[in-house]
Amino acid sequence: MRSRLLIIGMCILLMIGAIYIVGTSLAEDNREAVAASVDTDPTPSLPIEQGVFRRSGEALAYLEMPEGNNSLNSYYDNRAYPGAPPSIPHPLVTEKGIGGKDCLQCHQQGGFVKKFEAFAPVTPHPELLNCKQCHVPQKTSQFFRATNWEKTAPPAIHQAAMPGAPPVIPHDLYMRNNCLSCHAGPAAPKEIRVSHPERINCRQCHLPKSGADVFLKPRVEEEVFFRPIGSNEHQSAPLEPDQLSRIRNWIGLLDQ
Amino acid sequence: MITSEVNRRHFLKKMARASALMAAASMFPGIIFPKDQLSELPEGADISWKKSPCRFCGVGCGLLIGLSEGKAVAVKGDPASPVNRGLCCVKGYHSVMALYAKDRLTRPYIRRNGQLQPASMEEAFDLIAEKMQETIREHGKDSVAIYGSGQWTIPDGYVASKFFKGGIGTNNVEANARICMASAVTGFMTSFGLDEPMGCYEDIDHADVFVMWGNNMAEMHPVLFSRILDQRLKRGVKIIDLATRTTRTSTAADRSILFKPQTDLAIANAICYEIIKNGWMNRRFVDQHTVFKSGKTNIGYGLEDHFSFQDEPKDRTFADFKKFLEDYQPEKIEALTGVSAKDLKYLASLYGDPNQKVMSLWCMGMNQHTRGTWINNLVYNIHLLTGKISTPGNSPFSLTGQPSACGTVREVGTLTHKLPHGVVTNEEDRRMAAEIWNVPLEKIPAKPTYHTVEMFRALDRGDIKFLWIQVTNPMVTIPKLKRYRDGAKKEGRFIVVSDVYPTPTTDIADVILPAAMWIEREGMFGNSERRTQHFAQLLQPPGEAVSDTWQLIEVAKRMGHGGLFPWSKENHIEEIWKEYTRFHEGKKHAMAPYELLQERPGVQWPFVNGQETKWRFHSQYDPACTKEGYDFYGKPEGKAWIWMRPYEPPAESPDTEYPFWLNTGRVLEHWHTGSMTRRIPVLHQAVPHSYVELHPEDARMLNIRNGDQVRLISRRGEIVMPASVNERGQPTRGQVFVPFFDEGYLINELTLDSFCPISKEPDYKKCAVRVERYQS
Repeated sequence: MRSRLLIIGMCILLMIGAIYIVGTSLAEDNREAVAASVDTDPTPSLPIEQGVFRRSGEALAYLEMPEGNNSLNSYYDNRAYPGAPPSIPHPLVTEKGIGGKDCLQCHQQGGFVKKFEAFAPVTPHPELLNCKQCHVPQKTSQFFRATNWEKTAPPAIHQAAMPGAPPVIPHDLYMRNNCLSCHAGPAAPKEIRVSHPERINCRQCHLPKSGADVFLKPRVEEEVFFRPIGSNEHQSAPLEPDQLSRIRNWIGLLDQ
Repeated sequence: MITSEVNRRHFLKKMARASALMAAASMFPGIIFPKDQLSELPEGADISWKKSPCRFCGVGCGLLIGLSEGKAVAVKGDPASPVNRGLCCVKGYHSVMALYAKDRLTRPYIRRNGQLQPASMEEAFDLIAEKMQETIREHGKDSVAIYGSGQWTIPDGYVASKFFKGGIGTNNVEANARICMASAVTGFMTSFGLDEPMGCYEDIDHADVFVMWGNNMAEMHPVLFSRILDQRLKRGVKIIDLATRTTRTSTAADRSILFKPQTDLAIANAICYEIIKNGWMNRRFVDQHTVFKSGKTNIGYGLEDHFSFQDEPKDRTFADFKKFLEDYQPEKIEALTGVSAKDLKYLASLYGDPNQKVMSLWCMGMNQHTRGTWINNLVYNIHLLTGKISTPGNSPFSLTGQPSACGTVREVGTLTHKLPHGVVTNEEDRRMAAEIWNVPLEKIPAKPTYHTVEMFRALDRGDIKFLWIQVTNPMVTIPKLKRYRDGAKKEGRFIVVSDVYPTPTTDIADVILPAAMWIEREGMFGNSERRTQHFAQLLQPPGEAVSDTWQLIEVAKRMGHGGLFPWSKENHIEEIWKEYTRFHEGKKHAMAPYELLQERPGVQWPFVNGQETKWRFHSQYDPACTKEGYDFYGKPEGKAWIWMRPYEPPAESPDTEYPFWLNTGRVLEHWHTGSMTRRIPVLHQAVPHSYVELHPEDARMLNIRNGDQVRLISRRGEIVMPASVNERGQPTRGQVFVPFFDEGYLINELTLDSFCPISKEPDYKKCAVRVERYQS
């Protein structure tokens, strides 16, 4: 009798437990349905640092790789302005599709592509699969209407603060934060190919410097340049605009 | 002391500069200033970066524009923008190049003796004002009209509406968003009573399944599509492409389902049928937050002049709805839709799964549709039946095509029946406008006049004599183009066109006004997710060009309406914003203050208590809700409407004489009629001309190979153009597709001016053509 009561009691306990668990989980479920979580991490898709080490696994291999023939001139010829997405300089493998695997089979790892007799440049952002969203082929050399667009000059290379100092990074890093993809390997333009790809942590020594927001103090009164202090008599010849901007740059450096 | 400190600093600076001049590096021991180092300082290093929304599509990406020496020289994505987070598409990256083509309109032209001749701005404004007054005097207020654009900035549209509705006193205000977004608006209004999406782009970060309804997002909204692809890499979400043509989106999707044109109506109903049949309906949600309605059926196609239609909603019950759906059992509609019952059930199972958050996305496929309002209603039905709405990731999301279709046309209300708040037919709304504009109530007419197609018909008939066209190119985009071009060229019509480049529309103009474009003036755009984005004037407009806003104000002043626009050239945008936002006060639509817009890369409305509202109609996210949980406060009963909308065929279907469907659309590289993008060398060179896409089997049957010349003939006109077989896209068999960007191949000479009777939006996706190989 007692054991029977015990069993019944246990059953009741189990049932209460089950009801409780089912009930709370249902309530939880309802809450979930109404207030679907909004707290997923809104990490930006393009954090500027994310690609720095991306190809570092390849670093030692780069030492063994042959040198290709790409030049910085051809690199910039393919862009509307420094920093613009390059257009596709070869016939498309297929007109269909967003690019994705079709493009990545050559441009993810690089290597010699027999079809085009060239080393394929490596993309610094293989995670962006809709390649043709930004990179388009060129099917004619004609213009629809003539343009006044002038390409700005690319940044100078080998800029270093002192002789022998590590050159700075003269370009923007958005979408181009993986150094090795463009600065190492046979497809890298020869002028900017790094001599020491094995030293993975590029930005330990090379710092970004990309324009006025870093070095230039704005609002320098230009006429100051034309007059040596204390005298208006011996006015020197006005500087050429490009000389001026260089000096302005340098002064900005001093002010910091 | 302070002054002397400043003086000393100043002195030091001067010293530094002077020594720089003399290259007296020796004065500063330790600092190297050799000549060759200077020579290696970067060229063009003084680029400054300023924010602006992109000029092109409705996604509204944040850009950073690189400026140097008074010119735009580069573009990068704005990482601070929550829309695109630093990524752009090829149009955005090269957008600034559209400012610099050699044939930019830099001064006005007036047609004299049939020839367009250069004139001065004063002359042109005087002539326009005089012509408008003369026309009004002789033919009445409703004989003058303005046709604007979803690329109007908010101030452009606001001034146009105030000038025409409040100043002249005519409702002859329309915009090209009518041929682009009107069905989305009427869809929202009929289902929820308030326009624009309840959700936002952030839904992409939460949804598990994405269903594209006739929407080639990979090309048309590439940045958002990339956000979805990014989520697939990170979370393994599912992408379903439901379309009438195999596109880049189809090939990137996890599943591509092709259907026959127009049968999306039946597909949506079949999904609802399956959801109810399998018990996937969220009964509690449906009981508490929805009501059932039916409207008129067999509603026509608007093919004849003066067509009018008024829907009559009737109350229905769930039982009626269930019975109505009986006709849409998947097995019954397989033949009609061309979609297997299995695929239809699969679609329903995705929507029906209570553990999957679903986002539906659509744009022109559903909007440019003779039953556009209906199909919008039907997709909302699916989300309402399952309760998947107004919460993160549960989102029926209507995408827009133009940068300010929402901001200007829908929110400012530059349509014949609209006011900045509400509609002209409502006295309360008219009273509000009259009060804010400080005009007599009687000034604003209570009756809408012409919607876009009817406006061009009125121009052809002669009911409209004066038309001012701004920021759009209707002589490429109006369906059944020949009638409306001939009409516009008729004797006694006066056409003013404000634009930045010569186009087929400036060809028919009597006066051309050169416009300041985009960042050559200050303005705001509003994108698809209720985000208003401000851009400052970053550049000087070329020649005599001035903004569309200021053009309108100049003419209004000359007509004696200057009192409506008491602002200076310097502050008018800010003043307009302050006046305009009075229309939207309150928790349901409050707009962000001007200062905040200047600061941030866009702010979403309703902007309440310093917070953006990301999801509307749920108390957890939307402060306008007056009850706990869901509150569809756009409708008087606080409930959303589930509509019984049947399948009805399109206005014209293929037959033995014209056996092919003609579908038209865009390509990634070109924006609308290409007047800007074709002048960007990179984009033009990628897609130099239009073409007709054929299914390879059809091409083989007709003996047409890729690149061959093909003649397309419809009942309206014909065209010869190159074939594209096995290239970018592949229409289903019996269908051809033609991009409309190319003014050299005016495909709209063939299209039909049928429209959705509720929204008045034409269907550019369906008419019948014959296809022949062309031998010259």
